[in-house]
Amino acid sequence: MATATYPPPPPYYRLYKDYSESPSSVPEPPSPIEGSYVCFGGNYTTEDVLPSLEEQGVPQLYPNDSNVDYKKELRSLNRELQLHILELADVLVERPSQYAKRIGDISSVFKNLHHLLNSLRPHQARATLIHVMELQIQQRKQAVEDIKRRREEVQRLLKDAFITLDGQ
Amino acid sequence: MDIISQLQEQVNSIAAITFNVFGTLQRDAPPVQLSPNYPEPKQLSAALVKAAKQFDALVAALPLSDGGEEAQLKIIAQLQMENHVIGQELHKQLEAAEKELKQVQELFGQAADNCLNLK
Repeated sequence: MATATYPPPPPYYRLYKDYSESPSSVPEPPSPIEGSYVCFGGNYTTEDVLPSLEEQGVPQLYPNDSNVDYKKELRSLNRELQLHILELADVLVERPSQYAKRIGDISSVFKNLHHLLNSLRPHQARATLIHVMELQIQQRKQAVEDIKRRREEVQRLLKDAFITLDGQ
Repeated sequence: MDIISQLQEQVNSIAAITFNVFGTLQRDAPPVQLSPNYPEPKQLSAALVKAAKQFDALVAALPLSDGGEEAQLKIIAQLQMENHVIGQELHKQLEAAEKELKQVQELFGQAADNCLNLK
């Protein structure tokens, strides 16, 4: 049974020979990559942004660019989706060759739905942050109260102790 | 699971039920009728309607308080200031408590020494 050896360490280990004597004479590790980079033949970008629908070539079915009323739009998209499904069923019965357009409509409704939901995520992140901060404030207030109470108790016990000692 | 993920799962399951319905209809259709009762008893379409209703229910349950990003950011900044103030007070109380603890420990040490010396 042949066993393969581990790959050798990268050859620049020799540059770090004097690390124990002078930690500043050795090369720094490479800084984090910004912008776009290539990984295993694929291009990735470090920016975490949700690509808008127009970039994906899908028509945007819900109006407005800021402060969308999410609930209303989600509900209307849902109704539209069901209408499209019924349309597809009808088309299949009457004019079976026109199914492709209907299916394209249905898929664009789905893409709109998912895009709306994804754009809710930053809102959710901020709401989570608010919730966590409120919890933290509450815990800190509780801790302050507890410490105050304990200190008062300690003072009382000490006073009692002194009184007992003096009375002896 | 948080509600946005539930909504996304619901959308995907609506899609799954849809293509299952159409696939079943296509498979069991005439000219060679594969299933004795065609079209299928109303379970599939009922499932579709139920899934869509559930989606609506989830949408209604969205805790979408606030209008907009700026309001949330303002609330976050305010909470941050309050947190800072409370943090400072906590720190002060903690320091005072630790000082008193040290005093008590010192007193206790002296009392113990006295006890040992007087014995």
